[in-house]
Amino acid sequence: MSANKTKLSKSILEMKFMKRTKEKVEKQQFQEEGEEYFGNELTERMKKDSERFIIEPSYIFCEKLIDGRVSFQGMNPEIERLMEEEQKNECVKVKEKEETDISDEQMAQNWKNYRKMTKTERKYERSLENQNNNDESLPKKPKFLKPQY
Amino acid sequence: MEVSVGDVVMPGDTVKDITTITKKETIILGPGLRREADTVYAYKAGVLRKTEPAVYYVDSYQKRYVPNRGEHVVGIVTQKSSDIFKVDIGASEQASLSYLAFEGATKKNRPDIQVGDLVFAKLLVASKDMEPELVCVDSHGKEKKLGILSSDGMLFTCSLSLIRKILNRNSPLFNMLARSQAFEVAAGMNGRVWVKARTIQETIAIATAILAAEYAPLSGIKKLCSDIEKTLLLTQSGNVE
Repeated sequence: MSANKTKLSKSILEMKFMKRTKEKVEKQQFQEEGEEYFGNELTERMKKDSERFIIEPSYIFCEKLIDGRVSFQGMNPEIERLMEEEQKNECVKVKEKEETDISDEQMAQNWKNYRKMTKTERKYERSLENQNNNDESLPKKPKFLKPQY
Repeated sequence: MEVSVGDVVMPGDTVKDITTITKKETIILGPGLRREADTVYAYKAGVLRKTEPAVYYVDSYQKRYVPNRGEHVVGIVTQKSSDIFKVDIGASEQASLSYLAFEGATKKNRPDIQVGDLVFAKLLVASKDMEPELVCVDSHGKEKKLGILSSDGMLFTCSLSLIRKILNRNSPLFNMLARSQAFEVAAGMNGRVWVKARTIQETIAIATAILAAEYAPLSGIKKLCSDIEKTLLLTQSGNVE
């Protein structure tokens, strides 16, 4: 497609108002050059590379393992303090989740309904107004009175 | 051969679940699995496991440690040179540990470490083409749980799968043992465990309990701990008499 496309001449690109287009064209050119240059370096395997997979070589993530340094009953107070802190942090995280008794999803759903309701309500109100207008024309709004000094 | 989750896999088997899934979902391949285009092959023998959301890995029995970035290991200092220590972590190559990678260490204030000391360190660099590099501080320069291990403990080695078993969040082993005695453990992912308790008997008891846990099912660990507790009590009373 780019081959068929007529290219903008250099002198036009040099013009002041063509600045942004010029940048775009230059970027494209750079990309093309790069592909030409490194194209034969790409192996078949690299081209097939999909982004579906993440490689994680450690078991720590897979099995959610703990740190491996533990102490109990005051053998090493420093380590125990750190362990306690970690536990507290975890508790806080869990509590934060529990404290909000309405989840974000519920809230979103609720707001959706609310909006719908207001729409229908508005319609209803409008229809009421119309009816009123038809039946017994509402008392006219009092005219604006110019203040008199 | 095609395998699915829960099966025993051999190197070269393809994972059926992943090849058949067409959903656009990111899949995490843990240890023991590798990818060739869109098919996933196992390269270790073991049991194929899956954890949520989509983490696949091979649960295998292994004794040879292959360093991975971010893992905690117990190492033995084998060499002291001008600015780095060489540390044996049980891998194919010795790891290097800079003397500046300790809490509060400066060029003038060097950490007091001798050849033969034990360190509990974190792997900062672990690549198959390069020497592994250890650190004893976190990114804030604090020591936290890392650092030198005192020399009055005991070191023993075990299989890597046992380490994973005792470090699992659901493992009751440590909590059970902690009911009856005080102790301290540093378990490295490289299959080295350092234990320290109040007396030699207690230390041996902890070490035995950890080693015995390898072949005990989760339900059997409670019994194992109480057995060890009893034996320990008997030997202690024997000593007193």
